[in-house]
Amino acid sequence: MTAQSSAPEKIVVVGAGMVGHRFVDELVRNDRSGRFAIELVGAEEYEPYNRILLSEVLAGRADLRALGLPLPDADRVLFRRGVAVDEIDTDARELLLSDGTRSTYDRLVLATGARAFVPPLPGLAGPAGAPKHVHVLRTLDDTRNIAARAMNAKHAVVLGGGLLGLEAACGLRRRGVPVTVVDLDDHLMATQLDRGPSRMLAAQLRSLGIDVITSTSVAEVISAYDEIVAVRLTDDRLLAADLMLVSCGIRAESGLAARAGIAVERGIVVDEELRTSDPWVHAIGDCAQPPTGMTGLLAPGWNQADDLVALMLGREDLDPDAVGDDRPDPVKLKAVGVDLVTMGVRPSQALDDDRVLTVSDGGGNRHVDLVLRDGELVGVTCLGFPDVSAALTLAYDRRTPLPADPLALLVPAGAQGGVAATVSPMRMPGSTTVCRCSAVTKKQIVSAWEQGATTPDAIAGATRATTGCGGCKEVVCGLVDWLNASDPAAPAPSVDTPVTPRNTPVESTT
Amino acid sequence: MTLEPVQTHCPYCALQCAMTLTPSADQVEGGSAVEVAPRPVPSVQGGATSAGGLCHKGWTSAAVLRVPDRITEPLVRSASGVLEPSSWEDALAFIATRVAALQGAHGNDSIGVFGGGGLTNEKAYQLGKFTRTVLRSKHIDYNGRFCMSSAAAAGNRAFGIDRGMPFRVTDLGSADAILLLGSNVADTMPPFVQHLAGVRSRGGLIVVDPRRTATAALTDGDGQSPGGLHLQALPGTDQTLLLGLLHLVVAEGLADEQYLAARVNGWDDVRRSVALWWPERVAATTGVAESSLRRAVQILAAASPARGGNGAMILSGRGAEQHTDGTDTVTAAINLSLALGLPGRPASGYGCLTGQGNGQGGREHGQKADQLPGYRMIDDPSARAHVAAVWGVDPDSLPGKGVPAVELLGKLGGEVKALFVHGANVVVSAPDALAVRRRLESLDLLVVCDFVPSETAQLADVVLPVTQWAEEEGTMTNLEGRVLRRRKALDAPGQARSELDILAGLARALGSEVHFDTEPALVFDELARASAGGKADYSGLSHALLDAEEQGAGSGGHYWPAPVGSTGTPRLFARRFAHPDGRARMVAVSPGAPADDLRREAPVYLVTGRVLAQYQSGAQTRRVDALNAVAPAAFVELHPHLAKLHQIDDGDDVAVTSVRGTAIARARITTTIRTDTVFMPFHWAGDGMANAVTNDAVDPISGMPEFKVCAVSIARADLFVPPQPEEVLA
Ligand SMILES: Cc1cc2nc3c(=O)[nH]c(=O)nc-3n(C[C@H](O)[C@H](O)[C@H](O)COP(=O)(O)OP(=O)(O)OC[C@H]3O[C@@H](n4cnc5c(N)ncnc54)[C@H](O)[C@@H]3O)c2cc1C
Ligand code: SF4
Repeated sequence: MTAQSSAPEKIVVVGAGMVGHRFVDELVRNDRSGRFAIELVGAEEYEPYNRILLSEVLAGRADLRALGLPLPDADRVLFRRGVAVDEIDTDARELLLSDGTRSTYDRLVLATGARAFVPPLPGLAGPAGAPKHVHVLRTLDDTRNIAARAMNAKHAVVLGGGLLGLEAACGLRRRGVPVTVVDLDDHLMATQLDRGPSRMLAAQLRSLGIDVITSTSVAEVISAYDEIVAVRLTDDRLLAADLMLVSCGIRAESGLAARAGIAVERGIVVDEELRTSDPWVHAIGDCAQPPTGMTGLLAPGWNQADDLVALMLGREDLDPDAVGDDRPDPVKLKAVGVDLVTMGVRPSQALDDDRVLTVSDGGGNRHVDLVLRDGELVGVTCLGFPDVSAALTLAYDRRTPLPADPLALLVPAGAQGGVAATVSPMRMPGSTTVCRCSAVTKKQIVSAWEQGATTPDAIAGATRATTGCGGCKEVVCGLVDWLNASDPAAPAPSVDTPVTPRNTPVESTT
Repeated sequence: MTLEPVQTHCPYCALQCAMTLTPSADQVEGGSAVEVAPRPVPSVQGGATSAGGLCHKGWTSAAVLRVPDRITEPLVRSASGVLEPSSWEDALAFIATRVAALQGAHGNDSIGVFGGGGLTNEKAYQLGKFTRTVLRSKHIDYNGRFCMSSAAAAGNRAFGIDRGMPFRVTDLGSADAILLLGSNVADTMPPFVQHLAGVRSRGGLIVVDPRRTATAALTDGDGQSPGGLHLQALPGTDQTLLLGLLHLVVAEGLADEQYLAARVNGWDDVRRSVALWWPERVAATTGVAESSLRRAVQILAAASPARGGNGAMILSGRGAEQHTDGTDTVTAAINLSLALGLPGRPASGYGCLTGQGNGQGGREHGQKADQLPGYRMIDDPSARAHVAAVWGVDPDSLPGKGVPAVELLGKLGGEVKALFVHGANVVVSAPDALAVRRRLESLDLLVVCDFVPSETAQLADVVLPVTQWAEEEGTMTNLEGRVLRRRKALDAPGQARSELDILAGLARALGSEVHFDTEPALVFDELARASAGGKADYSGLSHALLDAEEQGAGSGGHYWPAPVGSTGTPRLFARRFAHPDGRARMVAVSPGAPADDLRREAPVYLVTGRVLAQYQSGAQTRRVDALNAVAPAAFVELHPHLAKLHQIDDGDDVAVTSVRGTAIARARITTTIRTDTVFMPFHWAGDGMANAVTNDAVDPISGMPEFKVCAVSIARADLFVPPQPEEVLA
């Protein structure tokens, strides 16, 4: 232990989700002098895990072992796993925990996240609660339960065609379950997509065997013996369903804060410095409502965690100048069979002076919108171009220089590859370098041949071609064959014949 | 002087291609003194390190022997400021007087020594010994720090030993997959490509490089081979890419859990750490498509012996290593190899592609600030006692740890008043080279041993002429840890002397009683004793043994460790790793951003590297006409999109500017590079000097500078307005 001039300040973090975990990790990494004593209280029984990979697990694409996050450094962090904070006494700065114990804090960081929102539908809500096989997707347990049910399910209904709902729908489909997605909006992923690309997305989903019903919702969940058997839609259609996933958005987990008298609106209200209405309490991640708004996405939560660590350690380098920082983060649909990434401004939100480029390929279910403002890429919608979506994300994120013709962005890097394709020895210009390792041109090989080097080995001896990487062996053999074939009987021309008729036509192609 | 053909190896890179030198009867001035021819080296597999190949550099290497400006006599800077010929006696006496005076006034550590990865083992050893016993200064380091230090640090951390390749280079031929990280072997060591033929024919070559280099183009399929994979990642994101691959190994259940349990520590931590690097995040950071990440993992996994493949290798070069997080990047590569159960398995494992001729041996025998011969640590009391006994000195008289190269260069003119430079051209090859030049100019004494007036030699107070490769005996340790003989074919011109003689002479002139042999075979014997029991143990080897082997005894080469009684160890790790518990150690790592990252004023990345026909700072190769004909000058490679944006045409002069300086060179417009990146080779001095621009920020673990990425702005030279004239022009 390092000598401490005063007792360390005690920070308690509530919630060991993705953002609480990041905050603790960053704080430990940066607080080298041990200024803070850290306690992490997390309600979930599991070791911290990567929540966003749950869709991959649901799709059977990721092993559960790929989810476990680094454990908090036991020397620095007291981690109470499977324990919830039940009450906060902000006056005494004291917490009541679900295991009956109490804990105090100097500063409290709320990272309680969010829970899935379940609309009050007939057959879902009510005294009996939801019937069996109706799920939300938020936790490891949810995922396990859905995956278990998927083994026997004959038809699944996903209510909500947002990012999460579609990832889950594709995941279930990959497990072989017929799926119908039902969305109240008139198009899928309305938060991120304009109608055109959204229609194409729906077409792509249908091609995977996922049915899409829009402008419609579930009017009633019908169950028998406490198990779901069907849903009735708002247009009165009945859909048989033995598995239902409700994916209608999230609600901030803010009850604990509200009970303690901390200001709560849609989430726990925080200022630019991530402080709640109580100066000793901070909130970050999905539970927080910062001035810039709530997103329900991970990247802003991680930024908040980093910023709060910097603020607490008194380092003011919040790095406002860093390239790309002030932009909304890209959103990628993590679904097998669909490649969709969106970021920033979409065409319907473009300003008059923005340049909007659209490439739409209805037959191939591919669509790209690029929005440029002042020469920078400020928005991308990219569906069905897996080879360029990563590069586009980078160009947007890092503000890298754009081509004069922005459509060139849609050509994958590999396809522009500049290495010349092999040409036949005959058509090759005389100045072509045949052997890179020893910088031997075709012309030099031809003149070596003329001087009697009529086998590949002899060419190697005379010019050094083929003696390096060996990559030109084939071409040299080809040249020798061609030369021998073109003039099998001719004696080697005399040394002072610089240009033979043979390679004159060749030269003319240069 | 015999006219018999002499069997030796190329003077340049770590492939150490074997060559036969035939002295020509008339060794006229300006003419070639020897004829060079490639020669296959026998090995157990029947293959060979260089398979009988040579690249353009090797073929033309003899031209440097008799360049017109070869230094043939000692030069001392006169009162009027010019370098004038001097006798050896006067030159050494002059140096000794100045050194004694400076040490008297400022202490022993005021003298620094900067070595090179091109020196023979014997010279490297003697240089370390000279620094520690005669100068008794802690300040020695070498340009290998710019080369393999990150891989060395990571290798030591993971395996407990640092041998570039823990297998034979000929083993590459049997692997089903090879992941090549940031290495352009097709240009830097072309004959190496022959060893990739097998893996290419099986579609298993994966190349990570921001440029579509000649090496990356080897992944193209053709009629015969299915082709591999080129991952054109954003500069500085190699580690993220590797973490992403490891994530997929875990996610797809491809980890070799049995091997990990039996042979590796730290897997649980590492597995957890990659939970944060899921494919979408990695794709968005690196610019590499998710499908390519998945395919790379499938190729590697299918090739790994645990899953029935013939072998998978991960090899790294400077592109991945020369970063401020270079050690951690290599660690990520090693972690990936361990997770797949590769190290120690046939045709499998992790290896580093050493760059310089003796980069491997150079770091084993005492040129590194913290090491004694045999890869012993200088702060280990038993290591000090062992080496001090061989040297006949009191262990307590040996200095402690010095500082790595960039830090050492930073001390010039401050704590360090005088510098000896051996086999390095730092004013061209060090990062932020303009600052290095200013510091060299502020020294009280600069002594440079070289055979040509390199840019660094031109700044010296004393230049001492030394022998070249064909004029001396010795040993070199190549990229696979194989010890090779360098042999003499002809006498050096004029008064040029071996560094072995110079160091012995200086020791005498400085009044030291420590004995310095000048006969390379004897120096090697002493080196062997000093290395005995160390990690890089050469004690079973001698010049005679190495000669016998090459004469046909045919053991297939001697690879260290070669303790007394053994003939060496071609392959490491089959049963145990070199840590005391025999297990490998995985360490969880996380990527750092480039120290000098993109900003609005500097929106483009600069990466630097080598071209086929030049070598390192170019002091040698820029003197060869045949090479200059192919690679005459520096250039700036950029994508047509970027060029158009700046109204640059092919062949225009382009100014590339960072906060440290500007380089101006011809534009070479090509679609083989990313649109957000420019590339410059670093072989040239003057206007086109790439290292005027590069960053000297270093990796905190290895001391490796961040040559491979910094943020720059570009402009057509005629439109370029220097940002801070006083800095750039100083
Ligand atoms: C399947 C899925 C896929 C997703 N994919 C993406 C994606 O691709 N990209 C993206 O950006 N985002 C994605 N998200 C959203 C992302 O997961 C969230 O934005 C992120 O997890 C928010 O982190 P958090 O720490 O704020 O909240 P959470 O991860 O929800 O963690 C909050 C934790 O606090 C605990 N807690 C709550 N109350 C208490 C209490 N009183 N006491 C103790 N502990 C408590 C909870 O049990 C929980 O463990 C996805 C979400 C899901 C469910
Ligand atoms: S590859 Fe290296 S060792 Fe071989 S000839 Fe070329 S420079 Fe010399």
